[in-house]
Amino acid sequence: MPAMKRTLASWGRIHPCTADVDSPAWADSIRFDASPALAYGLGRSYGDSCLLDGGHVIETRFLDRILAFDRTTGLLKAEAGISLDQILRFCVPLGWFLPTTPGTRQVTLGGAIANDVHGKNHHRSGCFGNHVGNIDLLRSDHSRHLLRPGEPLHSATIGGLGLTGIITAAELQLVPIRSACLDVELVRFRGLDEFLTISRESSETWEHTVAWIDCLAHGNSLGRGIFIRGNWSEHGGLDPHPAAKLAVPIDFPNFALNRFSIGAFNTLYYRRFPGRTSRIHQHYSPFFHPLDAVHGWSRIYGKRGFYQYQCVTPFEAGAEPMNEILRLIAASGQGSFLAVLKTFGDVASPGMLSFPSPGITLALDFANQGASTLDLFRKLDDVVRSASGRFYPAKDGRMDPADFFRSYPRLDEFRHHLDPGMSSDFWKRMHA
Amino acid sequence: MSPSRYHAAIFGATSAIATETLRSLVATRPASLLLIGRHAGRLETLAADLRSRGAECRVLALDLLDPEIPWHQHLADTTWDLFLIAHGSLPDQETTLTDPHLIGREIDINFISPIRIAAACTPLLEKQGKGTLAIFGSVAGDRGRASNYLYGSTKAGIDAFLSGLRHRLAKHPGVRVVLLKPGMTDTPMTAGMPKGPLFSSAEKVGLLAWHAIQQGKAVAYLPSWWFLIMNLIRHLPRFLLHRTKL
Repeated sequence: MPAMKRTLASWGRIHPCTADVDSPAWADSIRFDASPALAYGLGRSYGDSCLLDGGHVIETRFLDRILAFDRTTGLLKAEAGISLDQILRFCVPLGWFLPTTPGTRQVTLGGAIANDVHGKNHHRSGCFGNHVGNIDLLRSDHSRHLLRPGEPLHSATIGGLGLTGIITAAELQLVPIRSACLDVELVRFRGLDEFLTISRESSETWEHTVAWIDCLAHGNSLGRGIFIRGNWSEHGGLDPHPAAKLAVPIDFPNFALNRFSIGAFNTLYYRRFPGRTSRIHQHYSPFFHPLDAVHGWSRIYGKRGFYQYQCVTPFEAGAEPMNEILRLIAASGQGSFLAVLKTFGDVASPGMLSFPSPGITLALDFANQGASTLDLFRKLDDVVRSASGRFYPAKDGRMDPADFFRSYPRLDEFRHHLDPGMSSDFWKRMHA
Repeated sequence: MSPSRYHAAIFGATSAIATETLRSLVATRPASLLLIGRHAGRLETLAADLRSRGAECRVLALDLLDPEIPWHQHLADTTWDLFLIAHGSLPDQETTLTDPHLIGREIDINFISPIRIAAACTPLLEKQGKGTLAIFGSVAGDRGRASNYLYGSTKAGIDAFLSGLRHRLAKHPGVRVVLLKPGMTDTPMTAGMPKGPLFSSAEKVGLLAWHAIQQGKAVAYLPSWWFLIMNLIRHLPRFLLHRTKL
C-alpha cells in the first residue's frame, strides 16, 4: 500500500505534523521512498521527537511479533513495534517482567530504546538501554545491521531518537518475578530535604522509588509530597494487567483543570492516608502505570494540548535548584497533579544521548496556556542551566538548542552515527 | 487434565486478523498449526511468534492463487479441528476497475482462491464427520455500496457459497461452517483510513473470531453490534442509500 498523507500527533498534541505515512505489516516491506524519514511507534513522546512534518513517517506498530523467548534465561527477541503492554501480557504469566518500565506501557520496544526510557528502579538498574542486547537496524540506504552491545552504533541507537535508522527488532533481557504484585510503602514528606533523606535511606532496600509532589503547595508546605517505594512481592499470583476499562472520549474544556481543581485534588491526594506512612500490597499496573487505566487521558488537557517539563539537576547542586523551581511553579499557579520527583542513580547507560544522569529529576505536566506557560519555562530553564542540569528530548517541545548542545557532551560523537536519511521535528528545531 | 491438542490449517495465515485469531487460539489451548501462505520468511516470523506462545507450527509457502500447485497432500494423516481461510485484499477500487487484469486478480484473491480451498476441504470434513471450516467474509458483503462494491461483491459470493455448503454438510452434526464478518478493523490494510469510533482493534476482532469458531456459529459479526448496523444498511430504502456516501 502506498504512503498516505496523514496527520500525526505526539502525546502532548501541541504541534501535530502532516506526513506521508507508511504502515508496513512486515519489516521486509519497509521502504525509504522519500527523505527524510522517521519511525513512529505509538506516539507517546510528549513533544516533537516522534514527528516529522512534511517527511516520510514509518509507523511501526504492526511489527509486533515475538521472534524468540528463552523461558530459562528470560532473553526476549521481538519486532520493534511490539508494545510494552503486549510484552507484559506475554511474559508476566511466565514469571518474567520488564527490566525497567516507564510510567506507561503504551510505548513500543523500539521507542523505549530510541528514547532510552527510565523507570522507578533507575537507581538500581539504570535505563532501558542497559538491558538491550542485539539490535536489528535498517538504515535509509536499505542496509541492514546487527548491532551488538558495546559497538558505537549500538550506543548511538540507544537514546538516539530514531535518528540512526529504523530499529526493526531487538533483544531485551527480562527479569524474573515471583508475583505480579509489589509490597509498597507510602511515606509523606514535607520538603525536598526530607525527600532526599528518604531517597538515600530507601536506595539500598527498595528496588523501586518515586515521589509524587504537590506543585501548588507553597510557603511552609513547599515541596510536600508522598514518597512511594516498592519491592516485588513473594505472593499474589502472576496475573497480567487487565485492559483499560475507562476512557476519556472527548476533549475536556480548557477550564476544567485550573489551580482550584488541581489544588483540591492535590490536598486530597496528600491527605489520602492518616499518619506518616502506609503499607499496601499492589498489582504492578497501578504501581507502575497508574494512568494506563484511563485510555486517552491526555484529553483532560483539552484541545490546547499540554507540555511536560522534565529536567535533571546534579546531586552536587543540592536541593536548592529544585526548591527554586517549585517556588516558581507554585507562584505561577500553573502545573498539574502529575508531578513526579525521583533521584537517578549512577548506573551509566550506554546511550550517547541518554537523558538520566545522577541527580534529582522532576517531571511535570503543564496545560498549554501559550505565552504564560513558555515564560514560566524560561524562568525554570535559568535555574536548571545554572545548576548544570538538562532536559529530556522525549518530553520536550520547546527547549533552547543551546541547552541541548551544552548538556549532552557526547553529541559530537553521536553525529558520526546519524543516518543522513533520517530526521525529526525535534532534530530540525535543534538545528534551525 | 489438559485439553487435547487442537489441529488447525490456516490459509493466508499472515493476515493481521488471522494472526490475532491464532494468538487467541494458542492462549486458550495447546495447538498444532499448519501456516500456509505465499511468503516463506513472513510465515517463519509468524511461526516464531506463535511458537513463543506455546504452539507447534509448520509452515507451507506456496501461491494459493495458482490452481496447478498441489497442496492437499500436506493435509493428509491429520484429523483437523479447523480449516481457516483468511487471505483477502482491499484494493483501491477506482484504479482496479479501470484494469481488467486487476479486476481478475482481486476476484482471484478474495473469491476464487478461498472457494477452491473450501471445496478441497469439504470431502475431508465429510470423511472426518467433525471439524470446522471458517472463512473471513466482511460486513462489506451485506450490501453493495459505492465505496467498495468490488470487494463487497466477492465477500457476498463467499457468503452465498458458505450458506450452500452449510446446507450440504447439515447431515454431519459435528461439522461446522463459520462465516466471520469483521467490520472496520485497525490493520495495515486500513492504516490510511481515518479511525472513527466504529474501528475495532485486530486483537479484539481476532479474539471474537476465535470465540465464534469455538462456538461453531454459522455467521458471526465481529464485533456483534455490526449486525445491527448492517441490518439498518441492508434495509435502507434505495433512495435514501443513494444520498449517502457509504
